[in-house]
Amino acid sequence: MKLSTVIPSLLYIFPITFGASPDPGKFEQYYARSRLGPLQLDDSSYDDITAKPRDYYAAVILTAMEARFGCELCRDFQPEFDLIARSWNKGNKPDDTKLLFGTLDFNNGKSVFQKLMLQTAPVLLVFPPTTGPYARIDDSPLRFDFSGPISAEQVYAWINRNLPDGPKPQLVRPINYMRIVSGVTILMGVVTLFTVLSPYVLPVVRNRNIWAAFSLIAILLFTSGHMFNHIRKVPYVAGDGRGGISYFAGGFSNQFGMETQIIAAIYAVLSFSAIALAMKVPRIADNKSQQVAVVIWGAVLLGTYSFLLSVFRVKNGGYPFFLPPF
Amino acid sequence: MAESSVDVLLKGGSGRSARGLLRIIILVTIAAAAVSSRLFSVIRFESIIHEFDPWFNFRATKYLVQNGFYEFWDWFDDRTWHPLGRVTGGTLYPGLMVTSGVIYHVLRFLTIPVDIRNICVLLAPGFSGLTALAMYLLTNEMSSSPSAGLLAAAFMGITPGYISRSVAGSYDNEAIAIFLLVFTFFLWIKAVKIGSIMWGALTALFYGYMVSAWGGYVFITNLIPLHVFVLLCMGRYSSRLYISYTTWYALGTLASMQIPFVGFLPIRNSDHMSALGVFGLLQLVAFAEFVRGFIPGKQFQRLLTASIILTSGLAFVGLVVLTMSGVIAPWSGRFYSLWDTGYAKIHIPIIASVSEHQPTAWPSFFFDLNFLIWLFPAGVYICFRDLKDEHVFVIIYAVLSSYFAGVMVRLMLTLTPIVCVAAALVLSYILDIYLKASPGPVTRGRSNEDPSDGLRSARNPEVGISSYFSKAVTTSALIVYLLMFVAHCTWVTSNAYSSPSVVLASRMPDGSQFIIDDYREAYYWLRQNTPANAKIMSWWDYGYQIGGMADRPTLVDNNTWNNTHIATVGKAMSSREEVSYPILRQHDVDYVLVVFGGLLGYSGDDINKFLWMVRIAEGIWPDEVKERDFFTPKGEYRVDDQATPTMRNSLMYKTSYYNFNKLFPMGQATDRVRGARLPAESPQLSTLEEAFTSENWIIRIYKVKDLDNFGRDHNSAVAFDRGNKRKKATKKKGARVLRSE
Repeated sequence: MKLSTVIPSLLYIFPITFGASPDPGKFEQYYARSRLGPLQLDDSSYDDITAKPRDYYAAVILTAMEARFGCELCRDFQPEFDLIARSWNKGNKPDDTKLLFGTLDFNNGKSVFQKLMLQTAPVLLVFPPTTGPYARIDDSPLRFDFSGPISAEQVYAWINRNLPDGPKPQLVRPINYMRIVSGVTILMGVVTLFTVLSPYVLPVVRNRNIWAAFSLIAILLFTSGHMFNHIRKVPYVAGDGRGGISYFAGGFSNQFGMETQIIAAIYAVLSFSAIALAMKVPRIADNKSQQVAVVIWGAVLLGTYSFLLSVFRVKNGGYPFFLPPF
Repeated sequence: MAESSVDVLLKGGSGRSARGLLRIIILVTIAAAAVSSRLFSVIRFESIIHEFDPWFNFRATKYLVQNGFYEFWDWFDDRTWHPLGRVTGGTLYPGLMVTSGVIYHVLRFLTIPVDIRNICVLLAPGFSGLTALAMYLLTNEMSSSPSAGLLAAAFMGITPGYISRSVAGSYDNEAIAIFLLVFTFFLWIKAVKIGSIMWGALTALFYGYMVSAWGGYVFITNLIPLHVFVLLCMGRYSSRLYISYTTWYALGTLASMQIPFVGFLPIRNSDHMSALGVFGLLQLVAFAEFVRGFIPGKQFQRLLTASIILTSGLAFVGLVVLTMSGVIAPWSGRFYSLWDTGYAKIHIPIIASVSEHQPTAWPSFFFDLNFLIWLFPAGVYICFRDLKDEHVFVIIYAVLSSYFAGVMVRLMLTLTPIVCVAAALVLSYILDIYLKASPGPVTRGRSNEDPSDGLRSARNPEVGISSYFSKAVTTSALIVYLLMFVAHCTWVTSNAYSSPSVVLASRMPDGSQFIIDDYREAYYWLRQNTPANAKIMSWWDYGYQIGGMADRPTLVDNNTWNNTHIATVGKAMSSREEVSYPILRQHDVDYVLVVFGGLLGYSGDDINKFLWMVRIAEGIWPDEVKERDFFTPKGEYRVDDQATPTMRNSLMYKTSYYNFNKLFPMGQATDRVRGARLPAESPQLSTLEEAFTSENWIIRIYKVKDLDNFGRDHNSAVAFDRGNKRKKATKKKGARVLRSE
């Protein structure tokens, strides 16, 4: 990270002004404005808020909200940061722990971004006080780096660790009444719809074939490793390094998305040939066509199983078994 | 004539008993095959307990046999989790140990002198024979075909999915639990079919046994209510259902509460709430059915139905409120992580770190089940044909367990029984059709079926197979597949599942076998050369083995009940010596044991597990241990010259690579696991000294130095011993003060 380059530039921004006493009304003034969420800062107010001397903490998030920057993380995290600010400002806290929350968007604070030489966003800076009981000798801001999606609780825990000990406000997530109301409405709607449509829906719900299809699809999906794809987020296919596509991942405990679909299809073909041999063929009344059906399904079974074994030999090098065609 | 003698055997009254005898012989043969295919490891190596958890079970069993049941029940173990100790008697599933204890005492009573170790080693194969029998019974309840049960038993006996957890020496809870699982399901199906209190009570009895044996009992606790619930939704309420379920629930819950580890969980934990909810629902439905008989009015019946739905809705809301208010504990982490698959990785890294909790890639399914995996969906489809109560059970079980098996590798074990049932159903169905010797129509046509209700493929009447050619082709193909299945199972068992993992085997270039016995070498070194209460610190994986083989107290072990304590060990391993040493002293650690595979290319070593230690420690001390510091700026995890300073100063790195370069010519030291060229300089240790390194360097043991006699810190003491001059720079700090701990 570029921390080493950030600190000298910070020294440049804040000329050392020891001895001066902080403006007593500044904190209250900003604090009053931040009742409903973090302060919306721009270049000048950012400089003002972080100017020395200060007797309060300031947590400022430097972010780039506009869509053209494509900062997914900024937009995802902003509501969480607002939540932290609101919870803090509304909650009970000791009188001497002063903390301001601010948001500096790239559009309003280009020069700050330049001064800090920031290449990435969002970045959370916490400025410790320079005077007062909690003043730190090292007054450079603490920096929180975002490495991935993160929740308000985690960031809040980090901020709390850097604040003086003592009771802190709880992080309160507002209850989403809209969601509850809409959930109940949708539920009632579904129930009503079901009641009204029951003469048409019930035969479908009671249809064995549909349930059988659902069960088989679920089983095929799960036994072909779909959950692995879901959890590990494997790529769909990958190149083989020679410009082509490799459908099967190397290694026993590794797979591609497409690979599992191929396997599911193979299992499905094998299962349906077995079902056909068991249930369909004995119901064919005509002798000739029955014999043809047996031969066809038997051949499909053999061929597909042989292919499956050959695929498995790719995955597991030492596997010794095979069947004729493949 | 041979044919007529066969006819005598198979027809009439004598035929029935002859077939019965044949059946018994076949089942005994299957059981024998199941047992013998699990003996590879005993034949190749020796009669030895495998892996990690079995060592604890073995130690507990020895304790039980030596001290009696009541002592065992109250066992407080002060030799693990030093200095906390563990209330072992109250935090384990005692079924396994008690079972082997009973077997031991029965054999003693019969004056058969047998070592408890051999009972423990052979318990799993023995019970797998019983599992095959239970499987036969269960499948027979599903199908009228005479061959289905036998096929299922044979599949269950040799399928690798089950063998993986039940080879000789794998003395783990699953060894008996799968038998109990299958048998409980058999009893349950029987109870539902007959509607008898006796079978319901037997189900509860074996359920209680299952609870005492394995934490996976929760699967039964949820599957049976789900079965009942689905039957209710299908409008299949019957007094049989009511009798069997209420008997099972009442007695089974009482039985499960007798286990101290389970205690009041069945009424206080969300995992068990579905059973309670269905119990209540069943009472309501039963009441409604009862009232319905007296009240003919259609309006009133509708009112009744509505009131039932309303009451159950209210009960559900009440359950949710109780859960929110904390009266009912929420889902336990392990169980919850099955549904929310990302949960464990974020919140419980200790669960996510275990290799058997990883999701399953498709090759594992095929590896463990071979051709059963594609017969499985076909078998489930066959169940839709009759769709009796027991078939509904098979379908629910199949869908649920295939989901579970996909999420977690170890749950392949619960999938295996139902795969065997389903595959046997479809295979016996096919064989019954294609093995009929007489051509022409068979009498199993089901023309009376309502065409709109049944399966699409079963609408036309069945006429049977006409030509001998078709029969021959299909049967011979199936026989080839079956033979391949047997070959596959034997190959997999022999190659993949028969290694004790305490003793490793590899091949020399000339093809001869090379046995790597470093674990036991090191553990016996500890046993012989250290005081009986020397505390050993290692990562938790080896805790049970150290307790079992070296008989020395450990800080953490595989019973991961205290995350903070494990994180403490993780912090000690991942910090600088200056930070680690006080931790080691505070926990009275005498020896530090690390597993290092760099010389041999043994990939399951501690450096590969190291990131988990860091993560778990970071969970508790986010300011002191940071995972990021162990990665290079490019985001690589390296151990060579490029390794980060944090990595190179960590205790784990130092103890792993200490003096490793002396084995190689100058500057040639290579780590064969990670394929990395190591720095020319060996790491320097000041607070630890090497005590023992096993033959192939897999285990390295270090002694924690006592405080320095002159009160110096270890760093300067080591520097003095090496003859280094004190650097001038240190003088700037002024006069040295004697450190006092």
